Amino acid sequence: MTKYHHIKSFLFLILLCVILTTGCAHSPGPSSATLPVAKSSPQPILLASTSEQSTAQSAVDAVNPLDDEYKEDELVDEYAKNAVQEERVEIADPLETVNRAMHQFNDKLYFWALKPVAQGYKAIVPEPARVSVKNFFSNLGFPARFLSCLLQADFSGVATETGRFTINTIWGIGGLLDPSAGKELDLQKQDTDLGQTLGVWGVGQGFYIVWPVFGPSSPRDSVSIVGDYFLYPVSYISPWYAGGGVKAYEEVNATSLRIGDYEALKDAAVDPYVAFRDAYAQYRFKKIKARKAKPNPSVPAAEKSSLVKPALPEKGD
Amino acid sequence: MEKRLTGLVIILTLLMFSLPVYAGMPMTTAEATVNKVLNVLRDPKLKSPASKEIKKETLRVIYKDMFDEIEFSKRTLARNWNKLNPTQRAEFVNLFEQILEKSYADKILDYTNEKVVFYKENMLSDVQAEIQSKIVTASKEIPIFYRMILKDGKWRVYDVVVENVSLVQNYRTQFNDILAKDTPEKLLETLRKKVSKN
Repeated sequence: MTKYHHIKSFLFLILLCVILTTGCAHSPGPSSATLPVAKSSPQPILLASTSEQSTAQSAVDAVNPLDDEYKEDELVDEYAKNAVQEERVEIADPLETVNRAMHQFNDKLYFWALKPVAQGYKAIVPEPARVSVKNFFSNLGFPARFLSCLLQADFSGVATETGRFTINTIWGIGGLLDPSAGKELDLQKQDTDLGQTLGVWGVGQGFYIVWPVFGPSSPRDSVSIVGDYFLYPVSYISPWYAGGGVKAYEEVNATSLRIGDYEALKDAAVDPYVAFRDAYAQYRFKKIKARKAKPNPSVPAAEKSSLVKPALPEKGD
Repeated sequence: MEKRLTGLVIILTLLMFSLPVYAGMPMTTAEATVNKVLNVLRDPKLKSPASKEIKKETLRVIYKDMFDEIEFSKRTLARNWNKLNPTQRAEFVNLFEQILEKSYADKILDYTNEKVVFYKENMLSDVQAEIQSKIVTASKEIPIFYRMILKDGKWRVYDVVVENVSLVQNYRTQFNDILAKDTPEKLLETLRKKVSKN
């Protein structure tokens, strides 16, 4: 019975999403078309860089024979200019002192709590089961991805997500399996969120924030943390601590599949705090760039020409 | 029967000799090198933990050839390259290489039958290319892009982009941060400490 209750509240949630989006579509809708243009003065250069700039760049390279490695004077700007694809991605960090403290806190949280628990869990539960659990939770993340695609006017993404959710829920045993990502259907998860949506609309990153538990973020991406909370069915489990428990379990499961990644990144870094900040900035920047570059039938042709060239194609072949 | 076998040997020999012709392409170069690495990792003769050092040694030869360590260092320091004198530069290249090797060698040695797929070659310019590959594990796919540069007729890697994060840029931000406050000597000191640790 409780099961039905959940499905009902879930359906209500989807309905809410739809109402919300159709409601919102009137106000941010047009701005989503204008904002990127207004804001995107550096963007065309970045996106067009692959074709036009590269030819110009090769000329630069020809002038800059790379074998005279220790040539003094001419080097100054070469490497800043030599950005065939290396856009400079930086994020302001006015809260560095607080952020560093939070970074330390999260580091300890990982090594003292999350990692030991995840290791124990990993020893007991075989990998295929853990992958299924991950799929299950990922399937529940559908509302947030669906809404984000919709708000980005990415209708193929909306269709893909809807298809995935239906197929994986019905044929994938409630989302435990991911048959839609297989070769035949090839419906890949739309890895997007509300922070990216704002980014696509032209909202800048702002500055760097490290939240306790949630980790690296920015004012813009913090919207994701809040939005995802409300769009994530697990948040509606009552009592609240049961929902919290489920989320903690989800995190342990996810961590068990990537033990060693954090350690490797940290060990490789000269200043781990700066390394993670930069990785975060680069990662978000390129994700949003890829979302913007996604060929979209709803975007006007003039705008499209600058957007069509995907700097980072999502799939090969 | 024997004739056919000789024919096969001849064809195979011809194929082997004709391979270097294609090795001029960046993607082929990257793929060949990565396959060499995978062969070492998969080698049943080197499976025992005792042969870990032999493996490391064999791999070192392969990736020394694969990476352009000076280009890597220069791009990482960018403007700051000029603040270092030639001796400091040489030391920096050496230390940076050791740090990278130390951090990633163990990760590579952890390899257990994940699949590596090369799928795209993007020419960034006449002498620069981005090779896109991915590592496929049971639970996820990790995109790894190699940025390569053609020097003296040879394609070598100058940057690795893992999951959208460029290594060169990541270290550049870190070194910039240090060099904004401290001298190059201080940076080298930090690197020396990191290398000698553990």
